[in-house]
Amino acid sequence: MLKLNDAIAQLDQANSTEALIVATRQLASLTNLAAAPKLIEVLSFNNPAAALVAVDGLIALGQEVVPSILSNLDAHNYGARAWAIRVLADLGDVRGITALIDALLNDVGPSVRRTAARGLGDLRLKTETGDGQEPLNRCIQALLQARKDGEWVVRYAITTGLERQIQSGQLSSALKSEAYGVLEELASDQEDTNVVRQRAKLALQRLTAP
Amino acid sequence: MQESNTSPTEGTPISEGEAIARLRQTEDMANRYYAAWWLGRMRSRHPEAVPLLCQALHRISSLEPETGPEKGHEKGVDAKAIAMNAARALGRMNAQASIPDLLDVLDADDYRLREVAAQALGDLKAAAAVPALTNRLASGTNGAGKPSSEGSPQLNEPCEAMLEALGEIGNSSAEIIAIITPFSNHERPLIKSAACRALLQLTEDNSWAMSIEKLLNHPQPLVRRGALIDLGAVGWLPALKAINETQVENSLKLIALKGLAEHGRPSRMTPTHNIHVLEAMDALL
Repeated sequence: MLKLNDAIAQLDQANSTEALIVATRQLASLTNLAAAPKLIEVLSFNNPAAALVAVDGLIALGQEVVPSILSNLDAHNYGARAWAIRVLADLGDVRGITALIDALLNDVGPSVRRTAARGLGDLRLKTETGDGQEPLNRCIQALLQARKDGEWVVRYAITTGLERQIQSGQLSSALKSEAYGVLEELASDQEDTNVVRQRAKLALQRLTAP
Repeated sequence: MQESNTSPTEGTPISEGEAIARLRQTEDMANRYYAAWWLGRMRSRHPEAVPLLCQALHRISSLEPETGPEKGHEKGVDAKAIAMNAARALGRMNAQASIPDLLDVLDADDYRLREVAAQALGDLKAAAAVPALTNRLASGTNGAGKPSSEGSPQLNEPCEAMLEALGEIGNSSAEIIAIITPFSNHERPLIKSAACRALLQLTEDNSWAMSIEKLLNHPQPLVRRGALIDLGAVGWLPALKAINETQVENSLKLIALKGLAEHGRPSRMTPTHNIHVLEAMDALL
């Protein structure tokens, strides 16, 4: 416990980016769930280098950290929110779904929407019990809805997300054919960014390969 | 490195007709400025778009260099800023018909106007611009490439934009190569990178790529970003590993890798190389 308090104290005293990074790294290395609130605080310091270290530390804490992330989603601190979405996307925990969908459909930052699309593609929902079907439906609908995003990189991320969700084999046949429809659209001339077409074609090729 | 994302007051959606109307009127300069940007951003194909944007280029030519807020100057937006947006838009819209007008702007007294004109002519791959560009650069690193005054960030010519344009246009005669080559030793890393980028495009000689890759380790983030954008603009597939490993934010790496996937140079590369690029991009999302 003492070690945790020491690490937090050092972080609070850090007065340069260097010191902040060192202290954040030290705190993260404890892989102690009690360090989560402080690591989340680092996300709001407007210091990308330190935030990156905190993001890795939070991801290393695993899915137990999700409730703290969700309760600290700070709507007023844009940077902190963006980093938190990144953690949620990496953890792939179903409790993050609402925040990820909201980010994909409403965030002003293309990189945040991109990360959210990737996260939704990686969400693994347990459908065998029947509980996962509804969130899975929401997840796919959000990816389908965002296919008209104005930024190529978000549409690119959507192709990868749809590919992964189709690959998971959990989609109902109706959802699956909708998802295929969007991949075909993104692989066609209706999509004006070359690399997005390339990626959608690759997805279709892999999905239909014997 | 010429990704200029000037997005004035983004978030006010307007229609194409509204944009044309705003550019046609001459009272509200802020509206003209926004409309010029909007038409480029949306790659408008409206028949009036190119003529109106070309007019906007010429409204500047009657003014004194560096000064002269036009009649109706409002909100700090002047004719020069509108002309700059218009030049960028014409490049984005691939408006080949605007080449003669852009060549006029390439002769402007104003440095920034020459710079955006060079960028747009590069976007248009305008072979007609080669003589003017090479003339301006022929004085070399001690002429065109010299700071315009002691300690000034500006050189005598907007060399970065001009070198990049020559690379984009793609005419690789020995004379052009000879004019570009000295700039690959310019003391400023961004100029150096621009020259190497052009030479790599024109010659497909990997040693120019190696010079840019060295800059990916430069201590200044701005230089690393510039080198990254340059490798992406060429689409140099052998640089995939170096791009992946450089210390730059993922968003920029994705843009560079998009260039690799779309331009795919050197030309002997095969489609399987593209799959490696796409997989690298997936890992950066």
